[in-house]
Amino acid sequence: MKNAALVVFKKEMARFFGDKRLLFTTVILPGLVIFIMYSVMGQAMSSTFDSKDDVFKLAVVNMPASLETAFSPERYEIEEVNISQADDIKKKISDKEYQLFIVFPENFDENLALFNGGNLRENAPNVEIYHNSADVKSGNAFSETTAILSSVEEQLSNVFNINYAATPEDAARYDTANDEELSGTLFAMVLPMLLMTLMYSSCVALAPESIAGEKERGTLATLLIAPIPRNQIIIGKVMALSVMALLSGMSNFIGTMLSMPMLMKGMENDMNNISAVYYSVTDYLFLILIILSTVILFITLISIFSTFAKTVKEASTLVMPMMIVVMIVSFASMYSTEAKTEVVWYLIPVYNAVQSMIGIFSFNAVPVNIAVTILINLICSCGGLVILTKMFNNENIMFSK
Amino acid sequence: MKETKEILKVEGLSKTFKLSAKQQKIEKTNSKTITAVQNLSFSAYEGEIFGLLGPNGAGKTTTLRMLATLIKPNGGDAFIDGSSIVNSPDEVRGKIGFLTSELKLEDFFTPNFLFDFFSDLHKVPDEIRDKRKAELFEKFGIDKFAEVKVANLSTGMKQKTSLVVSLVHDPDIIIFDEPTNGLDVITAKVVTDFLLELKSRGKTVIVSTHIFNLIEKICDRVGIIIDGQMVVCEDLKTLTAKKNLEDVFFDIYRERKGDEV
Repeated sequence: MKNAALVVFKKEMARFFGDKRLLFTTVILPGLVIFIMYSVMGQAMSSTFDSKDDVFKLAVVNMPASLETAFSPERYEIEEVNISQADDIKKKISDKEYQLFIVFPENFDENLALFNGGNLRENAPNVEIYHNSADVKSGNAFSETTAILSSVEEQLSNVFNINYAATPEDAARYDTANDEELSGTLFAMVLPMLLMTLMYSSCVALAPESIAGEKERGTLATLLIAPIPRNQIIIGKVMALSVMALLSGMSNFIGTMLSMPMLMKGMENDMNNISAVYYSVTDYLFLILIILSTVILFITLISIFSTFAKTVKEASTLVMPMMIVVMIVSFASMYSTEAKTEVVWYLIPVYNAVQSMIGIFSFNAVPVNIAVTILINLICSCGGLVILTKMFNNENIMFSK
Repeated sequence: MKETKEILKVEGLSKTFKLSAKQQKIEKTNSKTITAVQNLSFSAYEGEIFGLLGPNGAGKTTTLRMLATLIKPNGGDAFIDGSSIVNSPDEVRGKIGFLTSELKLEDFFTPNFLFDFFSDLHKVPDEIRDKRKAELFEKFGIDKFAEVKVANLSTGMKQKTSLVVSLVHDPDIIIFDEPTNGLDVITAKVVTDFLLELKSRGKTVIVSTHIFNLIEKICDRVGIIIDGQMVVCEDLKTLTAKKNLEDVFFDIYRERKGDEV
């Protein structure tokens, strides 16, 4: 004999997989869009901040002889100009023809030679650097030139160093964090919020259509006339919707994980080695179980609102306040990358999922807390199924006009 | 025929609906409830077609929806082949075939898929399902459209598909609410002929309609409902011995409602 819930489940899946447009927009497109969006963003930021191939064109007044070697000719094309050309040069900076216009005071080197460790503080020579902050290349030239001049200035007045390093590689020894820990901190900060929001969005995109939509179109009543207990219809639908939402969520997740390193690389050079490869099979298993139980809970809750609503539009409106709650709770992860250790926190639905994810991503998952989270999610989902069954048996809810 | 097995027994069925403030305004009443069906009793027997006749809003559809267990009665009960609509709704749903314009088929699926799906819900074995599907699809000309999505079917073909899907489990009692409503004359004839065929096979058919001609053509007995009450429940031949059904109906209607026709 065929199980009624399974029959309903198969029908829902046939609907989902048979509709190529629905499949594309809910499963393939979200992951693809996230991957392309984050990759392009990373690439754009990378090319914005990374100007290693640029050659900066500088117009300089009173170029000091002591600094000529500081500006590499491969990087800086320096043209010595007269102060009377100032206005013309500034216009050329606005036109992006030049990147910087630097005005050194007269006798700059002579003044520096007189420096004895304190007498220049009152009347220090002022180097004027005109730049165009609206032009990325000019901005980069300004940052690098300022860094060069600061370095020269520090060498002149050096009293002590902080984390002195001859090379950038040498500087890395001061940071005790390894790539694994850096990845953990970053993922724990960003991914719980992102995943919770994506999961909820996936559920909202699917559940109202399947329940309120069927109610609105009159096809749910056809199903209710079948000689099967109403809870079998609900279980079949919730199971199918959970699988669909999981596929959609997984698409988002894969797109995020694949593009995250590219996004981070673009944001910060230190993040070059951010990767998801540091997580063990157990971590991924924990994560999948948390995601699965949370998706089932979300689907059940959204199904309750969808059953109560008369139309898809009404259902979509009813689920919005819950979206805000989920987002607020999820944002908590951005302020703390350490998961709560006390089990009592894991008794709170939604919050427990966020905490569990923080634990997993920061390599500090506590199996008991993960188990409690899954259990609580499933208990709440079962409670939701009982409510849904009562609602499906209530003619005022199911057949109200 | 009345001496044959009593398949449907309706005992004092009543249904009251709550009215929202908006509905109170529309109905121009201060009452917070409206009685749709009041203490309705009748029986239907094996191998007969029983017609429920009444004007719009008389309570015909509400009665059929209660019999189909879509809504629960506030009072009374009905027994379908011994199963109570109040206490054993799942059992009742397995024994009836219910068709109403309120029930729609999912546009995305084909008649073939929907027949299999509802057969599975009714736990019809695969070999019986396939044989029954072939027969019904051929009879209603659905076989040529078996793999066409419902969305792309004509209104008549959709109606035929709904009818066929309601019969996947070969129920002994078939309840049709306004079976020929919205159908073209050819499809309407196919449906009425099929109802007569069901009767000849010993099935009990309950139809609700306000079309006198349909009742006269296919029904053995008729129940006239006005304002939620069964005012007449009689053998059609006896009822129309002296006057045609339309005249009989309006005589009864005037008696109940005065000249409000």
